[in-house]
Amino acid sequence: MVYGGVSRAVKTLRAVSASHLPVFPPTQATKSSFDPQTWGQLQPPPSTALSAFAHRIGLGAVLTDTDDILKACTHPSILSLAPSSSSQPIETNAHLSTLGNALMGLFATEYVNATYPYLPTRVLKAAVTAHVGPQSCANAALEMGAVPLLRWAPKASSSAVSWTPQTPAVQRTDALASIPRALTALVYHHRSLPSARQFVHSYFLLSRQVDVRSMIKFVDPKKALKEMVAKFGRDPPKSRLLKETGRFSNSPVFVVGIYSGEDKLGEGFGASLKMAEYRAAEASLLAVYLTRRPPDDLNLPTDTFPRGLGDIFAEDAENEGDYLPPDLPHAEVMYASGGRSGRIASEAS
Amino acid sequence: MFRSLPFTASAFTRSYATKLNKYPRPKPGTAERPAYHAPDPLNNNPQAVVTALPENDLTFIHRPPPTAPSPHSLTTNPVSPLLRPSKSKEGVSLPPPSRPRFAREPLPRASPQTMSEIKRLRALDPGRYTCSVLAKKFSVTRGFVQSIAALKKSQRRAKRREQEAVADKARGEWSEKKTTLMLIKAKRRELW
Repeated sequence: MVYGGVSRAVKTLRAVSASHLPVFPPTQATKSSFDPQTWGQLQPPPSTALSAFAHRIGLGAVLTDTDDILKACTHPSILSLAPSSSSQPIETNAHLSTLGNALMGLFATEYVNATYPYLPTRVLKAAVTAHVGPQSCANAALEMGAVPLLRWAPKASSSAVSWTPQTPAVQRTDALASIPRALTALVYHHRSLPSARQFVHSYFLLSRQVDVRSMIKFVDPKKALKEMVAKFGRDPPKSRLLKETGRFSNSPVFVVGIYSGEDKLGEGFGASLKMAEYRAAEASLLAVYLTRRPPDDLNLPTDTFPRGLGDIFAEDAENEGDYLPPDLPHAEVMYASGGRSGRIASEAS
Repeated sequence: MFRSLPFTASAFTRSYATKLNKYPRPKPGTAERPAYHAPDPLNNNPQAVVTALPENDLTFIHRPPPTAPSPHSLTTNPVSPLLRPSKSKEGVSLPPPSRPRFAREPLPRASPQTMSEIKRLRALDPGRYTCSVLAKKFSVTRGFVQSIAALKKSQRRAKRREQEAVADKARGEWSEKKTTLMLIKAKRRELW
């Protein structure tokens, strides 16, 4: 353990177990060009550690080959440290990570869309990022205990200088985030898409609470509500004063409700009438946007994929008819569409 | 004229020097005004559902709390009336509109001829036929003119730049105190 004044170089060091090496110290240690730090970073963790990791995350039966697990834990940036003249090329998780990222995006998007059918698209994207984005994947890797198994380097490639726009420095978060993505791809390879979905659901979707409400920001909620009510074919919204106190004092309070005909869509309070109307419009919009589907009623499109190994396009006879597509709700109101609606002033009308 | 004595004065004749409601004075240690007794919210409440239970000689009153509804709604039981089938409740008295402007009758719907005329004039000379001018001319709202006769993106950008320049010039002439107050106002607006 090193206390106080820990240098950056020391922080990137990983404890290297010498027991699994055939020869220690390594034969190239006698050469003058040998750098022990680089050698340490390149060393794979022992296969027992990899196997223990697989069992710890519940994939002991799926990932039986420790080479696969090692590949999943090796970030492509390690190749910047590897000597060009090496007998065994290091296998990295570049392809696995890309595939896994696509799969996780798919599962998260369908889950969030099914759970919140009325959520605006930009909020849906933010929620998906919160569930399976780089930071969440890195946190999951930390929780899984993949940190001592990760092999990476801060440089993108061996020829790169410290940082350029074309070769930005690799962040530890990105390197860690590649591990769960690679694991998802491995589960997809060794089992099936529904199994990969189960992995992603258990680690990222069902076990993580995301505050969707804080992601919804309004520019003009009254205008948005007006357009939404028109889309639903109801009476235009009208704000009505429910309660007030201290109107001409220095601390008035107004409670305003927004009504569509006789139905109260939302209520808001404020220190001025405008503020109360603004908040009432926000409450009315949130009441629609944050409508959830109960978890038992969720019908995800990936339910249509067959459970076992084999052709994913094959029809699954036993699960035929299980998936019932839900009714699509009213499409999102794009009120700030910037003149693309076609209603432009023109001389020839 | 003799000044009438308080105990012989009738309640409805006033004299110059005295205020009739000064006497009787409140007892020492008690307030001038009578204590406030809040009305029973369960009594004569339109939201309360009253069920009589005559066998036990009881009255069961169900009144949900009048707090703002939470946004936690489910598709099977949505909070918003927009997501529920519309049912007309006849004879429900609604609260008054929050501002007098909202109590006005809506303007009559514009005919297609009016709409095409508005579009033509706006395209002809946007500087002369502004949204306000057209709204007054055809007795529609300014927002209506904006929505049916939007300018092209380039025209809008140019106009925006002009307006920003005018606003920036005005903001440059503010005193320090005014600038501070406007920033405070903007911050409050942000926290709405």
